[in-house]
Amino acid sequence: MTGWEVPIGAAIAFAGGAIATGIAQSKIGAAGAGTVAERPESAGTVIVLEAIPETLVILGFVVAAMIIIMVE
Amino acid sequence: MDSGYVNARIRGMYSRLLDKKSLSNLILKPDISSLITALEETSYHEDLERALVGKSGLGGIEEALRLNLIRTIEKISEFLQGEKGERYILIFSSRWDIHNLKTILRGKRIKVPTMQIRENLVPAGEFDVSLLSELLKQPDVKSVIDLLATWEVPYALPLTQAFPDYTAHGDLFILENALDRFYYERALSLVGGKSVEEGKIREIIGTEIDLINIKSLLMMFRDHVDPEDALPMLLDGGKVFNQKKLKMLLNLGSIASLIEYLEETPYRFLSDLRSSEGDTVKISTYQHLLDEYLIRHAVRLYRGDPLSVTVVIGYLWAKYTEIMNLRIIARCKNALIPPEDMEAEMVYV
Repeated sequence: MTGWEVPIGAAIAFAGGAIATGIAQSKIGAAGAGTVAERPESAGTVIVLEAIPETLVILGFVVAAMIIIMVE
Repeated sequence: MDSGYVNARIRGMYSRLLDKKSLSNLILKPDISSLITALEETSYHEDLERALVGKSGLGGIEEALRLNLIRTIEKISEFLQGEKGERYILIFSSRWDIHNLKTILRGKRIKVPTMQIRENLVPAGEFDVSLLSELLKQPDVKSVIDLLATWEVPYALPLTQAFPDYTAHGDLFILENALDRFYYERALSLVGGKSVEEGKIREIIGTEIDLINIKSLLMMFRDHVDPEDALPMLLDGGKVFNQKKLKMLLNLGSIASLIEYLEETPYRFLSDLRSSEGDTVKISTYQHLLDEYLIRHAVRLYRGDPLSVTVVIGYLWAKYTEIMNLRIIARCKNALIPPEDMEAEMVYV
């Protein structure tokens, strides 16, 4: 089974993670901008919080890679 | 603007409000100059720097507090510009238009010098500095109303309607009452929808109207005002008291009966005070309790839905209370009033 289903499956896994990360980062980014505007000293924390949703897209990438490598 | 952004900014601003401990430290300052030094270490330092250029002592603090309030409302209006929440903020900021108009009308009525009137204005509402300056240039009450009508300012309508009555009786309260009525009718019409946040804001406005009516009733009973003359002075649209109930309250005829009646309403705290202190309670004590109730109720909005505009309204009330508390401290320091009496006048949120 190495037809079109494998790349489509991998693409869905990656795209799902990427879209979810985008949504989460936009919300955190907006709130983070507000926080930094009022309390510039919290910029470090905001950057860390902004990066946390990246784990979702990395997870999506790993799953996509596993699909391509492992499914034969 | 994203509600997360607005909420984060408001929370940042709220975190800079002075807590009870900081206010208690300010109360214990020995004099005005040490109070100024302490305030310079708070979020008021920028406004104090500006204010102390032209004024010193109590005048400087009052000017700084005024500048800070204007700056806060302008800042919030800026990041809510074009948003649905902007019109709810308008309800809060337009109370400064009413304050400014009443100040100008009172000043013009008793011929106070323009500079003195200007010092008491807070251009934090729809009226900008240029409009207020033009109003201040007018020689009398009638010219102020005429100018408002020429510029098609909404407040011209109630004032023009009430003006013949004012000319007949010569009582400025008629114009002030017309302005209050217009303000509350307009405020209630802005939150006539069915959304949860509109419901909450409507409830606060209704409570405020009830409390104003209770305060008016207390003073009317004290001064033995005829119920027939008193009814037009009371405001419609309260949360608990409608016109019919107000008429009934007016017929109670005494402060004791009014307080007793309030036992069955959300304002029963007045009767609790009366039962513990007896009939010797001053009207000013009741008024202070009513103000405290409204402030606590309004500030509670800050802790509601974090993605709603009610957070902003709750913050504005908390900021207003802080400024009022600082003004009390500054004035009491100036008049050498002991800290314990000062504490009694303050409202902690």
